[in-house]
Amino acid sequence: MDSRQTILVVEDEPEIRQFLRSSLHAEGYRVVESPNGRRGEIDAGMHKPDLAIVDLGLPDFDGLEVIRHIREWSPMPIIVLSARIQEHQKIDALDSGADDYITKPFGVGELLARVRVALRHAVQPASGRELSLGSSRINLEKRLATKDGADVHLTAIEFRLLACLAKHLGMVVTHKQLLQEVWGPTHVEHTHYLRVYMKQLREKLEPDPVRPRHLLTETGVGYRLVADD
Amino acid sequence: MGYAWAAGASVVATLVALGLDAYFHVVNVVLVYLLAVVLVALRWPRGPVIAVAVLNVVAFNFFFIPPRGTFHVDDPQYLLTFAMMLGVGLVVSGLTERVRARAKAQAALEVEAETERVRSALLASISHDLRTPLAVITGSASTLAERGERLPPEERTALAQSIFQQARDVSELVTKVLQMTRLEAGAIRLQRDWDSLGEIAGAVLRRLRERLATHLMMVDLPDDLPLIRVDPALIEQVLGNLLENAARHTPPRTLIRLRAQVSGGELVVSVEDFGPGLAEGDLERIFKKFHRGAGLGLAICRAIVELHKGRIWAERLPGVGTAFRFTLPLETPPSVPAEAANPA
Repeated sequence: MDSRQTILVVEDEPEIRQFLRSSLHAEGYRVVESPNGRRGEIDAGMHKPDLAIVDLGLPDFDGLEVIRHIREWSPMPIIVLSARIQEHQKIDALDSGADDYITKPFGVGELLARVRVALRHAVQPASGRELSLGSSRINLEKRLATKDGADVHLTAIEFRLLACLAKHLGMVVTHKQLLQEVWGPTHVEHTHYLRVYMKQLREKLEPDPVRPRHLLTETGVGYRLVADD
Repeated sequence: MGYAWAAGASVVATLVALGLDAYFHVVNVVLVYLLAVVLVALRWPRGPVIAVAVLNVVAFNFFFIPPRGTFHVDDPQYLLTFAMMLGVGLVVSGLTERVRARAKAQAALEVEAETERVRSALLASISHDLRTPLAVITGSASTLAERGERLPPEERTALAQSIFQQARDVSELVTKVLQMTRLEAGAIRLQRDWDSLGEIAGAVLRRLRERLATHLMMVDLPDDLPLIRVDPALIEQVLGNLLENAARHTPPRTLIRLRAQVSGGELVVSVEDFGPGLAEGDLERIFKKFHRGAGLGLAICRAIVELHKGRIWAERLPGVGTAFRFTLPLETPPSVPAEAANPA
């Protein structure tokens, strides 16, 4: 039995499929290619891939539909490919269950890094583990945080924010998802809460809060927590 | 407004005429009134012209035509005087109107010609900026495709690298052209939300970290900057374009400083470089979109900032260097409820 991990690529442009196939093969993944959304859904059910890469601009129907359908039965990580002008589609895709996105044009190094993070995360969820952010350590279960060995006091909301980001460690979490999970469904429009609390968190945990290396802003979309390995 | 001028002109004419009355024949007095009509006609449309003519006729009749001090007219000759005054006024008014309309049409034509000139200059500049990278891509890619296996691996890698870089540049340029076109067409609606300049700056510095690595970056943002209600993706572009522009036009290891402060109800954001500086005449010109290289980036910055009701400009720093500054209007941010002291 083939022990390689399988990646489903739902993309209509043959040239883009070609270079994705070459680079994913070179990394040792098995690749299943679907040229349209309908085929993508069938292939997802048939091959049970470990991860799906879905283009948002598919000819037959919206990539969003593919994501929603896969999410009905599978938690497999989904990475969407989007063009730069599809800002809103990107957010919709993430809110519909995609785990991360990458904007065209992209270098393949960038894509492979996203794929690795998503696959690792699927195997071993981050919650419960100790997070290591530079010189800061956070234990979400025990609600303890230190920076340079000294205790750091984090408020309840700050812990909840970190926990929500850590659930998708290395991947993007939208404003809406964070607000909904930390403050509740009536607060999903209150982006300013996030600005204030993320600033506090950075000041407490980042070595240089102006140039964060762990609590990253995805401008207009959300946040991404990047921990050390 | 025109009617107030008509009344004023008539009063002044009457006063002047009364002054002249003692020394001159009444025929000359009529000329004073006529002058008033012509002056009003040069500046205002028909309505005020008719008004001043009528007022003048009434005043002339009352003060100068015997029997004086009445509105009665003995000599029917004066009726002709009235008619002439009105006629001259209307003719002059009609003429100036036509001249004015023609000047307006001329100006519109000039704007159109200027737009056309800008468009073709832009096209020329873009095709120049595209041609070199496309030549590199075509050449390198065909070398790899046709002679690839005869080349040592490091040369193959170098060729592939340069295809990668040049293609990325082309893609960025195309994105910019598209962006500028959409901004000009008014096709971009701001997606405003409360955001923090610090976060936007952090994201930009991360995105550009490789390109800015050749320079010394200094970030000077006060801790208590208020939140701003902006389209964050667009403001990130403005900051990115300004920083890239500073890095591109100054020698390596030049200091670039990103600063912000609140001043007079606005946020003033500055990207300062301590490079060779700009000539006085270039400070405005560099924002024009056909200015080669940087032009498109800065023209986009201007369009975005103006969409946010802010201003953007360049100034020379005393001594050496250039500052690019833009403002963003501040609004009162909504409050954030304080967190309960003892968490559940």
